[in-house]
Amino acid sequence: MTFAACALAVARKDLLTEWRSREVLPALAQFVLLALVVTLFAFDLDAASAARIAPGVLWLVVLFAGLVAFGRAFAAEKEQASLEALLLTPAGPVAIFAGKALAAAAVLLACEAVLVPGIGVFLGVGLPPLAVAAVLLSTVGMAALGCLFSALAVQTRARELLLPVLALPIWIPFVVYGAAALTGRAPQALANLLALDILVVVVAGLAARFVLDD
Amino acid sequence: MKPAIEARGLTQRFGRQLVLLDIDLQVAAGERVALLGDNGAGKTTLLRLLATVARPAAGELRLLGLDAVRQRSALRSRLGWLAHEPGLYPALSARENLEFFCTLHGLPRGRAVECLEQLGLTDDALRPAAELSRGRRQRLALARTLLHDPELWLLDEPDSSLDAAGRDLLGRLVSGRTLVFATHDRGLADELDARVVELRAGRVLDRGALQVVR
Repeated sequence: MTFAACALAVARKDLLTEWRSREVLPALAQFVLLALVVTLFAFDLDAASAARIAPGVLWLVVLFAGLVAFGRAFAAEKEQASLEALLLTPAGPVAIFAGKALAAAAVLLACEAVLVPGIGVFLGVGLPPLAVAAVLLSTVGMAALGCLFSALAVQTRARELLLPVLALPIWIPFVVYGAAALTGRAPQALANLLALDILVVVVAGLAARFVLDD
Repeated sequence: MKPAIEARGLTQRFGRQLVLLDIDLQVAAGERVALLGDNGAGKTTLLRLLATVARPAAGELRLLGLDAVRQRSALRSRLGWLAHEPGLYPALSARENLEFFCTLHGLPRGRAVECLEQLGLTDDALRPAAELSRGRRQRLALARTLLHDPELWLLDEPDSSLDAAGRDLLGRLVSGRTLVFATHDRGLADELDARVVELRAGRVLDRGALQVVR
């Protein structure tokens, strides 16, 4: 059984479970819409100020939605006591981790598919294609780190508290480069995001074995 | 012929608390061993060490001729582990649960149908695991353990929630296999013709050999 086939099987299983249980996606979509409505009413917005705060709203919502999406990745396995059965298959911990990160990233992408047009509708700000590319690239790196910390946090009692404490500081570079991509330095920012993605995917992949299996 | 399990001086601690102390255990190929003891005696902890889902704090453990710590990756697909909780995916049907594990084990999906039939679950194949009774879920978990035809079975309270027919089925399933299981029920040990190893406060009283090991 190849690494890719195992990872895809785990991702498919997670997405099928989410599709049937509708545990995370509806809540995240609701969170996105509420965040946009609150922004609309909390700020005295005109066209200029809306364009100025839109990137901040985008990244704040992506960060907090990411905490929910990635937090559930391993919490569900823990609650169902199914992680040990997974680890005793020949799939290996890294393939399991990759599959779960893939599924969690897909959930966050679905949430972003509501968020990006939502910013256009609620704030009247259209995001350029390069901004969408920045969001996609950030999602990859955030998913790798978020799922790694989720696997770590799930082994502790205070997992809901631990995940944001671990993940948010480490996600800051994604916000920095992501925000830069929206403010006129897009090509360099996207190149930095791509390099960061490669780095964190490799590091998270190497660390996953020890986090999941020790 | 090498023994299936050779444990020498196995010790486990949780923080400062010693939960297993200096356990010696030998299980021959084809032998069935029942771990008996009160709650907290260390049965599940010992099984988890044997299943390689936990590492011993001290001692040596060889399973099927391999070192259980250093060679556990090679070993794991040869073990059949059933934890106290069935560890199923509630949103997936009985068949989907097994097919998922078939994929991870590199087995054809038809093996899932065979195992469902063997465990008397054919009529429940399309029902979500969440809708199955506790006893049917236990059968499904046993079916998952059976999928890859493991050489060494490690079962934590396998008769949990099983009715009389389920217990008969369990007896037929493990017949002729190398098995270590934890139970509170001495009757089950007799039914499965198992050597009894009694644990008390993390130590072994080997009644099968009529000799106090420690």
